[in-house]
Amino acid sequence: MAKDPLAEGGFYFDELNKLRVLEPDVSQKTSELKEECKDFVDKIGQFQKIVGSLIELVDELAKEAETEKMKAIGARNLLKSVAKQREAQQQQLQALITEKKMQLERYRIEYEALSKVESEQNEFIDQFILQK
Amino acid sequence: MRLKTSLLKEPKHILPMELVSCVGWITADELYSCSEDHQILKWNLLTSETSLIVKLTEDIYPIDLHWFPKTVGGKKQTQADIFVLTSTDGKFHLVSKIGRIEKSVEAHKGAVLAGRWNYDGTALITAGEDGQIKIWSKSGMLRSTLASQGSPVYSVAWGPDSDRILYTSGRQLVIKPLQPSGKVIQWKGHDGIVLKVDWNSVNDLLLSGGEDCKYKVWDSFGRLLYSSSIHDYPVTSLSWAPDGEVFAVGSFNTLRLCDKTGWSYALEKPNTGSMFTLAWSADGTQLAGACGNGHVIFAHVVEQHWEWKNFVITLTKRRTMQVRNVLNDAVDVLEFRDRVIKASLAYGHLVVATSLQCYVYKNWNTPLIFELKEGTVSLILQAEKHFLLVDGAGLTTFSYEGRMISSPKFPGMRADILNAQSVSLSNDTIAIQDKSDEKVILLFDALTGKALGDGKPLTHKLEVVEIALDHFGPATERKIALIDKNRDLYLTSVRHLGKELTFQEMYMVHSMAWNDAANILCGIQDNQFTVWYYPSAVFTDKELLPKTMYIKDGSEFSRSPHILSYVGTKVTLRQGDGSLVFSSVPPYPALLHEYSASARWEDALHLCRFAKDQSLWACLAGMAMANRELTTAEVAYAAIGELPRVQYINFIKEQPSKESSLAHMLMFSGHSQEAEATLLQAGLIYQAIQINIDLFNWERALELAVKHKTHVDTVLAYKEKFLQKFGRKETNKRFLQYAEGVEVDWEKIQAKIEMELSKERERAANASVRSMSYSYVSLSAEV
Repeated sequence: MAKDPLAEGGFYFDELNKLRVLEPDVSQKTSELKEECKDFVDKIGQFQKIVGSLIELVDELAKEAETEKMKAIGARNLLKSVAKQREAQQQQLQALITEKKMQLERYRIEYEALSKVESEQNEFIDQFILQK
Repeated sequence: MRLKTSLLKEPKHILPMELVSCVGWITADELYSCSEDHQILKWNLLTSETSLIVKLTEDIYPIDLHWFPKTVGGKKQTQADIFVLTSTDGKFHLVSKIGRIEKSVEAHKGAVLAGRWNYDGTALITAGEDGQIKIWSKSGMLRSTLASQGSPVYSVAWGPDSDRILYTSGRQLVIKPLQPSGKVIQWKGHDGIVLKVDWNSVNDLLLSGGEDCKYKVWDSFGRLLYSSSIHDYPVTSLSWAPDGEVFAVGSFNTLRLCDKTGWSYALEKPNTGSMFTLAWSADGTQLAGACGNGHVIFAHVVEQHWEWKNFVITLTKRRTMQVRNVLNDAVDVLEFRDRVIKASLAYGHLVVATSLQCYVYKNWNTPLIFELKEGTVSLILQAEKHFLLVDGAGLTTFSYEGRMISSPKFPGMRADILNAQSVSLSNDTIAIQDKSDEKVILLFDALTGKALGDGKPLTHKLEVVEIALDHFGPATERKIALIDKNRDLYLTSVRHLGKELTFQEMYMVHSMAWNDAANILCGIQDNQFTVWYYPSAVFTDKELLPKTMYIKDGSEFSRSPHILSYVGTKVTLRQGDGSLVFSSVPPYPALLHEYSASARWEDALHLCRFAKDQSLWACLAGMAMANRELTTAEVAYAAIGELPRVQYINFIKEQPSKESSLAHMLMFSGHSQEAEATLLQAGLIYQAIQINIDLFNWERALELAVKHKTHVDTVLAYKEKFLQKFGRKETNKRFLQYAEGVEVDWEKIQAKIEMELSKERERAANASVRSMSYSYVSLSAEV
């Protein structure tokens, strides 16, 4: 192949007979590369989108898991505190019961004393009637 | 009795979880509270409004609040309403009613934990975290540092006369007089740190509560009277009601109302957190508590009971009473315009004092109402014909028709610290124990309000703790029973103070009460329940007293019973654990009293024969002797086998003249001096000498004989006879001296005595003729 003087000068013609400073091969490859790169970028973009949504999803999940966890902890604590509350309530009621019991005991003693007085008075009345 | 509490849904202090540290009543319906949100709030209970008084600067965290005392000895304080507010920065502030800080004083290093005015408002005491106690003048000038110790003083309280203070020192309690020379009492009070103390001015009892979760009641000598069981949480606050009958105890979610003897009336479990301060309103009806969760809790006392015969009255609400007649279960409801402060039911009348008015009920429909000048009645006492109201201004007696009868006054009177033990009322007499000198009892005529007799008070040799007047019989025979510090019971006549008429009756008497209808006294003596059917027996025949007693074994009552009332035949007692017990007393003595009062001696004899009771006979003997009813007395003494006395009565009967028999009756009661005086007054010299001879009172006999220049030989003769009998020799110089100059001739003496006696008989006969002629004259005059 005769040497193209242009080519030697670094000038080439492409298919459309436009003057180029790049070799057609290279140019072709370059454009190919460009295409490929574009594809790649597109794909990467797509990937990123997918990954982003994934992350979002995972994040959401994590958040949900976190709230559930907190809920669980809260529930557990509540359970514990309910037990404690019950205990405190029980204690309070117990104290009130003791108080009432003491009052009952006082009433019992009062009642006994009164019944004694009653029996004494009945006795007295009987005696009185007998003697009359 | 229980507490009715009220708590708002939301705390009013703005930071809900900040604790309210202190509360204080300004009037009976207005309360100031301070909290860690720096606010001072005013609570008005009438309008149930809460208003912000002032917001303090950020650096003031209040701890304690105490209002300047309002009334002192019946006089209103002229000074404007201020209160002391202590804070964590070591200062106390004098704050006016409108919330303006009048003065701030740097008082302690670390927080000032307590600040208290004394009762007359002349001094302020502060206690600090630095362990110091300082006294300040009214205007906030430092007077002295009373005490300083290594540990913080958590609480401090004034003694009743403002001359001593009580404070905490770790687990110890300390009573320290303000006088440097006074004796300090210090003792271990609790097993944990003592957090709060209080001292009541009316009953002089101390309260303490600590981290060992107990509260305790002490007397002012530091003797333990009551110790509570262990609570679930430390006792953080306690406070005496002003009248000293009850106190309140606060702890975590706990509010308790207790009797002064320590047992608990009621327990409330409000949702309050720890209660840091409790304060009673001045009339003792309302209670406020500063709560750890930012609330202020209010409570008032309801369901108090009054009983008399067949009526039971219950305070159901603040302004409502329910009257129940237990005989027919009829129920009446009494409504009042204002809050009921005090009430009393006795002698068929109900007296109710509200904050503004006094209601007197005889039947339950139409009360008699009159206005009260001073609002806070602290005590109502009733007698058959009238009643006594004690308020801040003094004592006033009213008739049941609502008319004011009298208002006894005496210098240094502090009516606010009188209680039922230190005042006693009967139909004609008021007895008041002088609180400035506890040995002295002041006596007043109930109808005029003037001091009795020459105005000289009754002075006992020891401090008196309880007094009681009898209710029955004529005013001239009014008697007062008193228990002194040694728990000895004395009985004395009120209108004959000059005469030596005080008698010690019994030892170890803890509590006593007169019957409402007859002069019968009952008491708790050591471990037994004793009724003195006729305590006046000590005035006629002392030895009769043990025979007139009715004793019941006290083992049926548990420890330290206290007599509440003695109405009819029923004695009501309250035991140490708070339960009411009753004891019945035979009805005969009251009947006997009635017969003797109306001089129905035949009936009295009949009753005694019917009842066949030795103690009743003994009573009759005493009553008959007191009324000079010799025939009845003779029978009664014979019935209890007192033969020497029967003989003596016969001897009295045989006396030729009135004067002699009177003298011998006095002798019978052991009043030999009065007997002698009676005879001498009547000119019966010989008889007076003879009395002394009979008592082997030789010196006096000789003295009389020599003085009147008669019967010296008689005295000498008797003395000689006496000495001969015992184989002794005369050693008395005076007798030896007179024996020299006088010849003893028994026959002559007998003749002389005979002559004296016949002379007396003659005189008596003349006198009776004269009195007959007098009565004849008066009769004709009437005609």
